[in-house]
Amino acid sequence: MRSGAGPMATVRAPERPGPAAAHDAMSAHHATSAHDGNRVDTTRARQPDETGFIERDGVRVFWERYGDGSPTLLLMPTWSLLHSRHWKLQIPYLARLFRVVTFDGRGNGRSDRPTESDAYADTEFVADAIAVLEATGTDRAVVAGLSMGAGYSLRLAAEHPDRVIGAVFIGASLPILDRPADEPEVQVDPSFAGPQSATGEWRNYNADYWRRDFPGFAAWFVGEKIFSEPHSTKPIEDGIGWTLQTDAETLIATEYAPYLWPPAEWGPREPGQGRAVPFARHVRCPALVIHGDDDRISSIAVGERLAAELGAPLITIAGGGHSPLARWPVVVNRAIRDFVRGLEPTS
Amino acid sequence: MIESAAAAPSSTSAAPRTTWTSYLARRRRALYISSPIGLGHAQRDVSIADELRKLHPDLEIDWLAQNPVTTVLESRGERIHPLSAELASESAFWANEATEHDLNAFQGLRRMDEILVANFMVFLDVLEAGEYDLVIGDESWDVDHFLHENPELKNTAFAWLTDFVGMLPMPSGGEHEAFLTADYNAEMIEHVERFPRIRDRAIFVGDPDDIVPDDFGPGLPSIRDWTERHYDFSGYITGFDPRPLIDRREGLREELGYRPDERVVIVTVGGSGVGESLLRRVIAAYPEAARRVNGLRMVAVAGPRIDPESLGAEPGVEVRAYVPELYKHLAACDLAVVQGGLTTTMELAAARRPFLYFPLRNHFEQSRHVRHRLERYGAGRFMDYDASPPEVIAAAIAEEIDRPVAYRPVESDGAARAAALIAPLV
Repeated sequence: MRSGAGPMATVRAPERPGPAAAHDAMSAHHATSAHDGNRVDTTRARQPDETGFIERDGVRVFWERYGDGSPTLLLMPTWSLLHSRHWKLQIPYLARLFRVVTFDGRGNGRSDRPTESDAYADTEFVADAIAVLEATGTDRAVVAGLSMGAGYSLRLAAEHPDRVIGAVFIGASLPILDRPADEPEVQVDPSFAGPQSATGEWRNYNADYWRRDFPGFAAWFVGEKIFSEPHSTKPIEDGIGWTLQTDAETLIATEYAPYLWPPAEWGPREPGQGRAVPFARHVRCPALVIHGDDDRISSIAVGERLAAELGAPLITIAGGGHSPLARWPVVVNRAIRDFVRGLEPTS
Repeated sequence: MIESAAAAPSSTSAAPRTTWTSYLARRRRALYISSPIGLGHAQRDVSIADELRKLHPDLEIDWLAQNPVTTVLESRGERIHPLSAELASESAFWANEATEHDLNAFQGLRRMDEILVANFMVFLDVLEAGEYDLVIGDESWDVDHFLHENPELKNTAFAWLTDFVGMLPMPSGGEHEAFLTADYNAEMIEHVERFPRIRDRAIFVGDPDDIVPDDFGPGLPSIRDWTERHYDFSGYITGFDPRPLIDRREGLREELGYRPDERVVIVTVGGSGVGESLLRRVIAAYPEAARRVNGLRMVAVAGPRIDPESLGAEPGVEVRAYVPELYKHLAACDLAVVQGGLTTTMELAAARRPFLYFPLRNHFEQSRHVRHRLERYGAGRFMDYDASPPEVIAAAIAEEIDRPVAYRPVESDGAARAAALIAPLV
């Protein structure tokens, strides 16, 4: 969701040639690795040791557990655009060192795709996370999230301090930047619901266009917005393949779901203060922020502000785009490892 | 027995103890990564290791490798690094990628991204203790790629070996695959030119003439020009000396039970299941081939993944599940029928035997790189699987079995040349 990402002023013109994305869209069916759970997917470096579903209000959510080490890492879902395979380059490594739990966010993968927007509220993802922790017998975990997954992780850390011993926010896409005090705070940009505009950097971020050409949206969003780096054809194919496992109506529903609205009991915010700020200020556990300085979905300013509010170290990926997980996996894997090892041991 | 916690001596100090080793006490150590992607690499890697030990008798070599390479290494008593057990299986991946005589090697390499990252992370753990002076990577794609992506993590000398340079598109992949191979090649070129310090030695297993005449892609350099600028050349590395086998071929035939008046055809399709359709087709060619060639005897090697009973062999064809020391049979036969893999075809070229080879469909390395090399040696006859029903195979067997072999001799000093290039790094 871009609406939570703050101002788009830092967006630059794409340097990547257009035809690449079209190529990738055409071949997306090649890239979709088995995610049906019924046969062994030999493209995986490691198979889960345990899988299951939790069910809340009739919505089933699929989870996986890898390894038996300590502590547990809860690798959170992101926007329903993708499912838990977006952690595929982290899981095999982290599961050798720690215990890893991940789940397909509602709306994609093997989890259900409810039709009403409220089912995709951040509070639902947080409640799913708690239910998955329960189902896997996990008292506490280090949480990590990418993009909107960073927002879900932030809410989880802020509201469940007993559960979260550390938090890693990667390519965080959340409303944390200040805006003019007189500007109304909206969940969905008006340009999303109306007819698609003829021009503009974000014209394809439009419900009507998604309904008309969902593969075209996937190719544009994954191929031009998420992966700004050259030589990203494989992560782009993966991302498009995962996007095509959900559909336009599901993603439109997520667009209208509440995201990071602070609870009323936290009191009023200062005029113009980003909604994510109070959440960051409620986080008590150690945290780490990782952000690309060429992130075309959520600018580096978001990562900088989040790190400042958390009092957390920031690792900037110079030249990096919105998904360091997929494009710069080695540095991310090692940063997560070092962060987890640096936490106080928990009994 | 594992000592239980209760039996462990109660420590008076739980503080960790570490040792840093000065150069005065540091042994000369290399880590050798033998990739199972090219399944024939084990033999050449151990022969290079043997030559290196001649130059550095005190060199200790640990191997980071997985099945089936580890089988070869264990039989020689080589030391396998314990973290090898943590490597994600590449051979299981490739077995699953293949269908009937078909394996898109380029797309497979892309689809293996998760395994490559996982295995590079294992490699980093091996390296972390800082015990090695040198890493030797024989087509260790993960190590080469991710060291270039993370140059700050390099803490040893690195020698890189490969027998082909350049991803090439297959016609079935159309424009899209051509776009992708060019993009992969461009990234590789950027990596190598930006960080010449990563590959302390880059060795092409072959000669400049073995390099395909293609470009890396539109607007990219000629593969040969670029490779000549960025690689040293070891010549081909057979991993064994073919001369004794050639010299005593008659005795070898007797030893193996082949009569002088028999014309022996060996059909072998490697250890995976991908060769079954070719095996069936060659077996079906036997009656017609036997009509054309007097005394024809066909031995078909099924390998571990194909049930010999299921092949329904023609009368006169011997189907064997496993043949020990297959290379001796290949050296003794009158003709071999094989897939297009580099190791087996070059073994036949070195042993100077006639052979038919069928590259796997959509396998750019077999179809383009290996074929180009074999044509330079004048070795073997290229066969297109799709254009070769049994009668075509039978005719080719009859034509080739008596053709005088005039192959360019295969060098036998490749391992020593490679070792001489690597030795100064350690």
